Amino acid sequence: MIEVASLSKRFGKTQAVSDLSFRVEPGTITGFLGPNGAGKSTTLRSVLGLVHPDAGGATVLGVPYRELDRPLHRVGAVLEASEVHPGRSGRNHLRVLAAAAGIPRSRVEEVLALVELSTAAKRRVKGYSLGMRQRLGLATALLGDPEVLVLDEPANGLDPAGVRWLRDLLRSLAAEGRTILVSSHVLAEVAQTVDRVVIIHRGALVQQASIAEVLAGAQGATRVRSPDAQRLRELIAAQGGTVTDVDDRTFATDLPPERIGKVAAANGIVLHELTVERATLEEVFLELTGGETTQ
Amino acid sequence: MTALVRSELLKVRTIRSWWAYLIVIVAFTGLAVAAQIGSTDGGDRGTVDFQSDLVETAGIALLLAIILGITIMTTEFRFGTVTPTFLVAPARELVIAAKAIAAAVLAIGFALLSLLVVAVVALPWLASVGAETHLLDGEIGTGAAQQILSVGLWALMGVAIGAVVQSQVAALVGTLVWIFLGETLLIGLFGLLDIDGAAAYLPFQALDAADGSGGGELLSYWPGVAVSLGWIALLGAVGVARTRRRDIT
Repeated sequence: MIEVASLSKRFGKTQAVSDLSFRVEPGTITGFLGPNGAGKSTTLRSVLGLVHPDAGGATVLGVPYRELDRPLHRVGAVLEASEVHPGRSGRNHLRVLAAAAGIPRSRVEEVLALVELSTAAKRRVKGYSLGMRQRLGLATALLGDPEVLVLDEPANGLDPAGVRWLRDLLRSLAAEGRTILVSSHVLAEVAQTVDRVVIIHRGALVQQASIAEVLAGAQGATRVRSPDAQRLRELIAAQGGTVTDVDDRTFATDLPPERIGKVAAANGIVLHELTVERATLEEVFLELTGGETTQ
Repeated sequence: MTALVRSELLKVRTIRSWWAYLIVIVAFTGLAVAAQIGSTDGGDRGTVDFQSDLVETAGIALLLAIILGITIMTTEFRFGTVTPTFLVAPARELVIAAKAIAAAVLAIGFALLSLLVVAVVALPWLASVGAETHLLDGEIGTGAAQQILSVGLWALMGVAIGAVVQSQVAALVGTLVWIFLGETLLIGLFGLLDIDGAAAYLPFQALDAADGSGGGELLSYWPGVAVSLGWIALLGAVGVARTRRRDIT
């Protein structure tokens, strides 16, 4: 559906993207994650034929974006909410693009209603809030009723109610069978919405997996509490486990609970607590991206 | 292509500066014609020369045409609207071609509007003072037609400059400085180098020749048109190449 292959792009001294490859499967919502400056926008702009890669490339629906016939009907994109002439009304912004794409005016009114912008449509964009601009951007992307959506940080500037609205909209769009690639530097914005994630850091791929796989792959620690903690620690260390003390009677280890239980039973040690501490998605994200994200 | 041209025409008409263009044309031409008639002796008002000068006040459209041409191109880069524009039409050279057609069409509209104002102000006034009118004569008519076409050329030149320079402020300021200062200095330099004849081939000297008003040092009409088109093609080709290569970030 969207395929990025060995994409590299350098701007001056900055290697924005290096040898990046990933796939977005049809009919899924894929989160494209990474800290600010990780190369997300450069990648998306390369996918859409706006940036010329130094090496590698990308295809959408099997061909480079520039070779798509009637591209607005195949792929809808929102890259930055500010890419609108401030002196033009929201409705006219959409009409201008609809005219270029041969889309009837009635469709402009439809997408305005869909993003709940009909009442503000005749106002000039200069007076729009960031959230309204984001919704105008979504309306732009939906003009051609495309099967693929590419959204760059669509939740930026939205208030919590706006984020929730966006989440519901994306879900309903995906339920119609569309393929969606949505980027974000804040995992929480998309974690509940996406099926799969592509995580990049410093322009390179860190992980490409389903949300469940990301969590499963995360090293979950086992927390153990015992009145005889000292002896259990030594036994676990002897089994090759690493041990981190929490307090006198409590410690964490990387061995799974099954092994701990077995060791304790075999040596007649009483356990007061034996729990698996799942890393949260946010922690995994921070770990994968070197903890450099700001939020 | 028709769709792209329609989109470009709509872009111009959906921002307020569109009305500024129209107001400037009507106000400037109207005032200029009135001032000229009012300050001329009764007897001279009936001459072909005087009325031909009246028609030339419509030349304000030339300056507005090149400003329109530059802004139609550079506004997209200034506000980032070039991103959605190129997403709709990834063939960037077609977008530039559509802008060129739209700018030329609108500029010719400016010229017609300006001439209309000349006629609306001058015809009743001249008739009321009993002056013979030549405004619809062949000679003045030919001059007006040449002027209308040259306004189209100025618009194309603006689009070509916009595609090369891309920064709105640099393109507008640079062009005005070039027109009013740069070429004058170059003409002086050519004089010092004893190649005075080359001056007529400078872009805005050629465009001057192409408005049919004529002048001692200028090329005659058709060579003027040809050299103007040559400059437009050259700058246009550079502009298309630059725009195609540019990373839209």
